[in-house]
Amino acid sequence: MLTLLEQLDKGFLWQSPGGIHPPQLKTLSNQSAISRLPLAKRFIVPVPLVGEQAILTVSVGDKVLKGQALTEGSGFTYLPVHAPTSGHIIAIEQHASNHASALPILSCVIEADGLDTWCELTSNSLEQLSKTEILSKIKQAGIAGMGGAAFPSHVKLNPASEIDLVIINGIECEPYITSDDRLMRDHSDEILAGVGIIHHLLNPQRIIIAIEDNKPEAAKNMQAAIERSSLPKGQIRVTVIPTKYPSGGEKQLIQIITGKEVPSGAIPAQLGIVVHNVGTAYAIQDAIYHGKPLVERVVTLTGENIAKPGNYWLPLGTTVADALQAVDFKPSTQQKVIVGGPMMGYALADLDVPILKGTNCLLVPSPEEIAPDTTEKACIRCGECAVACPALLLPQQLFWHAKAQEYDKAASFNLKDCIECGCCSYVCPSDIPLVEYYRVAKSALKTAAEEKHQAEQAKIRFEARLQRLEDEKNAREAKAKEAAAKRQANMKSSDKDAVAAAMARIAAKKAQAESNTSVSEAPTVTTQTAIDPKKAAVNAAIERAKAKKAAQADTSNVKAADHTDALLDNINADDVKTDDKQAKVAAAIARAKAKKAAQANDVISSQTDAITGSEHNKDQVTPPDDKQARVAAAVARAKAKKLAQAAASSSATDPIATPDANVPTESTDATDASADHSTEPLTPSNTIEPQTADSSVSDKQARVAAAVAKAKAKKLAQVAAGTSATDPIATPDANVPTESTDATDATDASADHSTEPLTPSNTIEPQTADSSVSDKQARVAAAVAKAKAKKLAQVAEDNQDQSLENQHNEQHNEQHTEMSTALSPEQAKKAKVAAAVAKAKAKKLAKSAEQEEQ
Amino acid sequence: MAFKIASSPHVSTSLHTNTVMKRVALCLIPGLVVQSYYFGFGTLIQLLLAVSTAYLAEAAVMKLRNKNIKATLSDNSALVTAVLLAVAIPPLAPWWLIVIGTLFAIVIVKQLYGGLGNNVFNPAMAAYVLLLISFPVQMTSWIAPQTIALNHADILSSLFSIFEFRHSFLAEHFQLSIDGTTMATPLDTLKTDLSMGLTTTESMTKPIFSGMAAEGWFWVNMAYLIGGAIMLKLKVIRWHISIAILASLFVCASFGYLISPDTFVSPLMHLFSGGTMLAAFFIATDPVTAATSPRGRLIFGAMIGVLIYVIRTFGGYPDAVAFAVLLANMCAPFIDYYVRPRSYGHRTGN
Repeated sequence: MLTLLEQLDKGFLWQSPGGIHPPQLKTLSNQSAISRLPLAKRFIVPVPLVGEQAILTVSVGDKVLKGQALTEGSGFTYLPVHAPTSGHIIAIEQHASNHASALPILSCVIEADGLDTWCELTSNSLEQLSKTEILSKIKQAGIAGMGGAAFPSHVKLNPASEIDLVIINGIECEPYITSDDRLMRDHSDEILAGVGIIHHLLNPQRIIIAIEDNKPEAAKNMQAAIERSSLPKGQIRVTVIPTKYPSGGEKQLIQIITGKEVPSGAIPAQLGIVVHNVGTAYAIQDAIYHGKPLVERVVTLTGENIAKPGNYWLPLGTTVADALQAVDFKPSTQQKVIVGGPMMGYALADLDVPILKGTNCLLVPSPEEIAPDTTEKACIRCGECAVACPALLLPQQLFWHAKAQEYDKAASFNLKDCIECGCCSYVCPSDIPLVEYYRVAKSALKTAAEEKHQAEQAKIRFEARLQRLEDEKNAREAKAKEAAAKRQANMKSSDKDAVAAAMARIAAKKAQAESNTSVSEAPTVTTQTAIDPKKAAVNAAIERAKAKKAAQADTSNVKAADHTDALLDNINADDVKTDDKQAKVAAAIARAKAKKAAQANDVISSQTDAITGSEHNKDQVTPPDDKQARVAAAVARAKAKKLAQAAASSSATDPIATPDANVPTESTDATDASADHSTEPLTPSNTIEPQTADSSVSDKQARVAAAVAKAKAKKLAQVAAGTSATDPIATPDANVPTESTDATDATDASADHSTEPLTPSNTIEPQTADSSVSDKQARVAAAVAKAKAKKLAQVAEDNQDQSLENQHNEQHNEQHTEMSTALSPEQAKKAKVAAAVAKAKAKKLAKSAEQEEQ
Repeated sequence: MAFKIASSPHVSTSLHTNTVMKRVALCLIPGLVVQSYYFGFGTLIQLLLAVSTAYLAEAAVMKLRNKNIKATLSDNSALVTAVLLAVAIPPLAPWWLIVIGTLFAIVIVKQLYGGLGNNVFNPAMAAYVLLLISFPVQMTSWIAPQTIALNHADILSSLFSIFEFRHSFLAEHFQLSIDGTTMATPLDTLKTDLSMGLTTTESMTKPIFSGMAAEGWFWVNMAYLIGGAIMLKLKVIRWHISIAILASLFVCASFGYLISPDTFVSPLMHLFSGGTMLAAFFIATDPVTAATSPRGRLIFGAMIGVLIYVIRTFGGYPDAVAFAVLLANMCAPFIDYYVRPRSYGHRTGN
């Protein structure tokens, strides 16, 4: 049993299945040596990686030299793009691509100066360079596979695993194409030099130059070049293989040379094999020994409609139109211009597209040469396609499924292993464009896979979010109990206790008197209504207490604010200055708003909790999730359009929410920016949060959220709004003397007060923050805010119904029931009394604030 | 100027469906000639009837389906179906038999399933089975080979017989002479004899079995074999199905013959009588209704061979080609589903 190496040395060949023998027609173009065409005037150099992996290093009007890199970038598969000739960049624009789709692609248009001046080139010898340097030079020369696929060569020259066999592909199995043939005939020594570099880099046990037996001269020249080269004898040989299409396919060639099959989905390197095109070998030696980047290639210009068919060195970027014109192209009607060979090439719709690194042939056949299109007929299941398929697929089954759009079934017949060689279409007696069906099916499968992947990602995100919200909710509930207990304690110790109790009793009585009619309500409802008035009363009491305390705490708050600012300096030093100002502005606006808003609070204040409110809040307490906040902002923006009113009112909050708050000028921008808030004013339940369990979000959390939000606020003014939710929670805590730092936190965090206009308790804030405010900006802000608050109030009223519903959802206030004294359970309307009290107070406060302002 | 856009590949073979079908029809000519030599002009008349019916029926259906009549007729598939049915039925069968059969084959078996490429069953064989079951008498009274016939059925008497001009004196005259020429096929005779307790050797002494396998039938089969060989050479068909049928039939027949030569028919008799060669090269190889992969085709062919043997030996009908082919047709999608070639780069199938 011979080893594989022995078999390779003997030139033993294996059989590749399938394949066809189309008429060759290579003699049309391979009769003369490779020549040059006059330099074109205009070159189009696509820079597809710009924006992804690379940046442009030139701009319009720049003078470039031949070989000068136009892009700069990083990334493993990044390849620089070079100017093919000297001249000026006259445009950088979207230009039709040399692709079947002709989709526009970012391209540099270069006007040649005709001098073709090279940039500075550095020649090297192999000994001077380390392998890494060689690879880097190959990369910087922009060398990509010249056989057509244009895969970056340095990647294939730097494999993860050991390479035993290098196959230099000189098969060129496509009919018509002779660029490799002529290159091997005319530049065999240069190719061998390139092979030497590949040998140096990969150090394989064998290198085989594979050539089809229809190119005897090329094989002879390459053999002679091997004799002349200094490469170790016995390790490199020319192997001539029988002519059959598609023997030049990488997988097929490996099978013919070694008998091995590249596993599906794998690359040849996993078998210890690497295949390089002869043109690539040529380009590699040019890059290393002459320092020349890849700026030109041999292109076969052929077909019966070309007067001078042959092989030409064409600078990359030469347009197809220019190239064809230079060889006297005479188009016939229904002319096809094919890039590549007749088997796998694609027809161009637009000839103003550039020659690319992988463009090995332009074929312009006469109508007699390549038969006109035929109509597709019924498949007779003859199975000739399966016989011809080099990948051993069942093309006909694939066709049935692809045609029926049963792409999953097509995939089960290994559609992905189709190499699109076109053998099946070639032999099909019914003229079915099989390959086209497979392309459609493949792209559909690809799209479906991408969508599936995205859906999975979204699901993971969604589940994570649900979990997080659940956790947060639990944490909040726990905090709520704690906070409620604390408040209770405060109330008892306070000297306002008696007053509060009295107020509560009065409110309760009134409410009772008003709500006789609602006695027959359902038990659940009555229980809740029992809670409501009591709570409202408590709230009223708290507010009053807060008002006094807050006023006293004013100075200390300012200090605390400074303190927090200092902490936040670490996060965003720039914001420090604005904070103070903003706090004032915020306060002013809030105060102004409160006046109007209070009028709208009949219902809101009677409402003791809001599941929706807390839920809404949950949605908002997500400042760390930058992306989500942005998404939320986007959603909210969309909503904002519909809810013009709401958006308008929320815009009032914006100057505050925006760190750079330039109040008068920003108010319009703000409409957009604060779109996050647009829903909040509509959700009266939010107003209750300060008074209820929802205030339980920990100080720390609120502070962190505020800090994070502030840091972000600069970049994302809109996102800053996202922090709003934490603020209403933090704010009420500030009113409790022991937690006064929170108030500053809240204001610091660009003090979002979107909910405040609806929150009677917040009317206290103006006093806390504003006593020292006589700022012009604040006044302007207040004016703006006032105007908007009017609208807001209307909105709030519109939402009465909604808030009433929320009432029934109340779940969190059981702790308050304990405090209830002698309230009958059916006093639904007591809440209103409490609200009225709050309202009156708010008015008073607002008035005094206004006076103060003036 | 506008340039023409087309998907690769831009070249293709010149061997198209219509050419393939035409070649199949042409390769039937040797068999047709030999059959006409032995069994008279009846077959040719049946052929004309079948072809014209087939084209008319196909055109009518295309008209109803709003399809291009010319394009469909030019694919020659109807021609092949008509020829196959014409050579399969008794040469002097009445005209309506072939017309019904052809209509059934084209309209119901082929077009109602979606036309060429979509039919599940071989149209000619489905029609043959329909006729065999519906009109057993007409379908089993085969004409005697002219070499042993008392009266040779000339073209005129064939015409009168086929078109059933019974009422004129002339017709009666010819009818009489024709009646004397019809007889059971060799396989039928053998089956009957075996059921009557005769051994195959005793039965084979009858004049109908003169010659190599059976008088006339051997050479008819030989002619179809030659036609099949030409098709193989022209790559109109692949060898798998034909060889699998003949090989499996041969193996089965040899097995039986070795066990009991007196009660089982010889392999040679099986291969060269009845419709064996016609089925192996022209009927079972219809790509539309056969399995598609090489391995699948071997299984498909072997199945037909075994079924032919089993039905001929143990079944109620003397010849079994049509039934065997139809049964295998039913299995073709099943075979295709499970017999998939190993794709490049894959360890096993799937």
